[in-house]
Amino acid sequence: MSNSSLGAASVALGVAAAACAVVIVALGLSGRRPGWFREARLLAWVMMFAATAGVVVMERALITRDFTVAFVAEHGSSQTPALFNVATLWSALEGSILLWTLVLCGYVVAVVVKFGKQGDDPMLAWAMLTLFVVAGFFFALMVGPSAPFDRFDPPPGYDGPGPNPLLQNHILMAFHPPILYLGYVGFTVPFAFAIGGLCTGRVGEGWLLATRRWTVMAWGYLTLGIVLGAWWSYETLGWGGYWAWDPVENASFLPWLTGTAFIHSVMVQERRGMLRVWNLSLVISTFSLTILGTFITRSGVLQSVHAFVESGIGPWLLTFFAVIVVVSLGLIAWRGDELRAPGKIDSPVSREGAFLANNVLFAAFAFVVLLGTIFPLIVEAIDGRTISVGNPYFERMTMPIGFVLLFLMAVAPVLPWRKASGEVLSDRLHWPAWIGAGSMVAAALLGARGWSPMLAFGLGGFAGGAALRQVALATRRQGWRGLVGRTNGGMIVHFGVVLIAIAFAASNAYVRQGEFTMEVGDSAELSGHTLTYEGSHVTEYSNRTEKSARILVDDVQIYEPAIAQYPFAGRTIGVPSVRSTWTDDIALSVLTFPEGSDDTVVLRATVQPLIVWLWIGGLVMAAGTVLAVAPGKRRRPTAPTSAPPAAHEVAV
Amino acid sequence: MTAPALGSSRGAVWIVVPIAIVLSLLIILLATREPASERAINFELRGEIAPLIEGEGLDGVWFDIDDHSNQWVVVNFFSTTCVPCIREHPELVEFEQRHAPRNDVVVVSVAFDDAADNIVEFFDEFGGDWPVISQDTGSIAVAYGVVAVPETYLIGPGGVIIEKLLGGVTADQLDALIASAGGA
Amino acid sequence: MSRRGLSWFAFVVVSLSVLVFAAVDQGSPATNADKAYALAKDFACPVCQGQSVAESDVPVARTIRREIRVWVDEGRSDGFIRDQLVSNFGEDIDYTPSSSGVASLVWILPVVAGAAALVGLVVVFRRWSDEPDLAASADDEAVVAAARKRP
Repeated sequence: MSNSSLGAASVALGVAAAACAVVIVALGLSGRRPGWFREARLLAWVMMFAATAGVVVMERALITRDFTVAFVAEHGSSQTPALFNVATLWSALEGSILLWTLVLCGYVVAVVVKFGKQGDDPMLAWAMLTLFVVAGFFFALMVGPSAPFDRFDPPPGYDGPGPNPLLQNHILMAFHPPILYLGYVGFTVPFAFAIGGLCTGRVGEGWLLATRRWTVMAWGYLTLGIVLGAWWSYETLGWGGYWAWDPVENASFLPWLTGTAFIHSVMVQERRGMLRVWNLSLVISTFSLTILGTFITRSGVLQSVHAFVESGIGPWLLTFFAVIVVVSLGLIAWRGDELRAPGKIDSPVSREGAFLANNVLFAAFAFVVLLGTIFPLIVEAIDGRTISVGNPYFERMTMPIGFVLLFLMAVAPVLPWRKASGEVLSDRLHWPAWIGAGSMVAAALLGARGWSPMLAFGLGGFAGGAALRQVALATRRQGWRGLVGRTNGGMIVHFGVVLIAIAFAASNAYVRQGEFTMEVGDSAELSGHTLTYEGSHVTEYSNRTEKSARILVDDVQIYEPAIAQYPFAGRTIGVPSVRSTWTDDIALSVLTFPEGSDDTVVLRATVQPLIVWLWIGGLVMAAGTVLAVAPGKRRRPTAPTSAPPAAHEVAV
Repeated sequence: MTAPALGSSRGAVWIVVPIAIVLSLLIILLATREPASERAINFELRGEIAPLIEGEGLDGVWFDIDDHSNQWVVVNFFSTTCVPCIREHPELVEFEQRHAPRNDVVVVSVAFDDAADNIVEFFDEFGGDWPVISQDTGSIAVAYGVVAVPETYLIGPGGVIIEKLLGGVTADQLDALIASAGGA
Repeated sequence: MSRRGLSWFAFVVVSLSVLVFAAVDQGSPATNADKAYALAKDFACPVCQGQSVAESDVPVARTIRREIRVWVDEGRSDGFIRDQLVSNFGEDIDYTPSSSGVASLVWILPVVAGAAALVGLVVVFRRWSDEPDLAASADDEAVVAAARKRP
């Protein structure tokens, strides 16, 4: 059987399995066939098998260069190196939906394995129903508008163009999309349980506790995926930047913002039983925003360097988004009365007060990013003008929010629940505050100027100091266990955020860029670094021809930025070269080798401090997430924190 | 906890309804937008006085657009590496030759992000006998808002911009434009 | 004043003076190249997808970059450069939305929403903390007492 038929068959199997599962669970829930929904668990495995088979068949077709599959004919090439051949799957629309579906089925099976023992619990049944509907939707996409296994009749000697050259010149492309998908798709699970909770009326803690780790894990993957994406931009796009507030970057950032708000505010609900509607809304928003982000990335409605080619999938995704919104809002309106929280807040200066403020800020952050992203469309709809919203807007609007968030990050971890006295605060914040002041003094001595980066360094040091204090106290009390568990892991995540905030502020404030036209032997100076052009050479690869410039940096080492020509894809791209150290980065890219003169190069150099700490910060955040989901100190089941709130929280 | 049930249920509706309205507007907005690639490119200069073009031609003769205010001026932005530019070039040559006897039109080429050596070679190879400005053309291109070559501007007598043509032009197309703008 | 209090006082003095110093002392003045680069980041490359003039490598971006540099060298103001580019390439080259007309909504809405959220937060706090602890009925007290007795 051909790869096309096998692939189409596995997609059909997936659709059928999802449809059967939806019907069976629905019948089970309607009460006509109680207990049936257990049988649906098997169908989750069938779906998983179908998605795996689809991916395996597609990878086989890509590796064997089976051009009878249209996707391979359009995006594969016999010249693509092996690793990027595998990664071609997610370099174009249809394959990316296939990968998305596989990840989703993986999560569905994981839910079945984890919660299978709970048997006929209707909340679980509703959650499973939601998961099956979502999975069914993605399988259905592969039948209609985004069919990966369409046939192609290749003429003799046909060879494909290969994936977009930008997507096959850096190793990070092999990791960034799958990890991002693990994050995006992971939010489906808490969403499903939130719907389950709403449908059964069990809107209290149940669904929260059940999915807490899943949410944090998905959040961790999303964080890592975003950081890797920024790293990939920095290493391959050649403009010396890593974040441009581009619509697609914003699309991945939006669910991160609401997800971050959720994993903070969920602690208030667990502890004090409050904010139920709010938390539900955050979970639902996060999931809806992943779908909206997928729409923005894939419909071609907004321009972006990262966007897939525009396709017919847009209306489907938008309809799905609309359905999610309608169902969720309907359920929340219906359950409004039961969502009323029993708790109350004693003082704004308390842990829960800080979390509330955190949530307002994250929500505002998300609002600004969403508004800025879609605003050109709004203006166009109102009066037909085309405008742009870019870097200056986002920086101006988000910077103050970022500062206040850093401040909260310093204060919140040391705040006790319920109420804090000035004495306690003064005691606990004393050293962190001095660490903040110390970082400002150190930065000033090192030559940092400007109030805004300085404030970022100070608040960063303050927040880092507070996290350090918490971790130090915890490890003194519990030894290595003081690094494990949600709170302690969370503090490690905070370290990562501090690193990123400081590196972001420094690189933005002190970036220097220069464009130099150099003949062989010429030198240029930028920000205390010497760049000498030593000549060029041409290298032939299987899929491209590279003309590299040999640039001697600081008389020590040669770096070779290049221009690569991909004959099959018919495109020419720059291949930057980056010198990284702990203190600063020099990103070099060749703009052109002017035609007609063999020994001239137009070079762009970007010098930015502390870039490497962005990536380290991202890895620290990921490590902290792992520590946070690792089983920490077990709470006694009778401890007030994990008991149902109604009995305890009313008055103590 | 039972007493406020009714009130808060209504409260939930009060919050849900506005959110639903906003989100519906968002969905309608997204559903009705054209894909970004199909949106029109702005053209702000139609009917305006043409920005200044002056500079030394390849032949060393100084060109100033103000010296041609009683003629039609066709300004062609091009580069030697651009395929549509090579394709349209014979049409410009044809157009120029048609009008040479009457002396009612002047064609001027402005290089876009290109080296002078290449341009000399280009005109040697493809012909064309009119002013070509090759040095320091960035300001002219920015003043005209050139985004991608070839771009051709038709400027009427008196120095008003009549039309901007993206991609290649043909001699007939230019003549038709001149005719419809009231020229010979 | 206690030692702790003195230390906090010193902290405030040190932090504020460093901040003021950093704000006042600009270090080495920005070169024309730096100014031109900073400006180029504020404009969209007209033919690219979501890249600024500073970032893109296409000819038009290179041309505009060079022209911005020429203007900066001539001592033109940021406003002049902005007006020139907008009138030549259209409004959508400007990454900073206008602060008048419909476009100003993008600046106003977040501020309004933020203020509303703040007011909402204050109201909610009021309501939460004004609610007397009457909700604790005798039954509740019993439950709490029982919970406390449990080891």
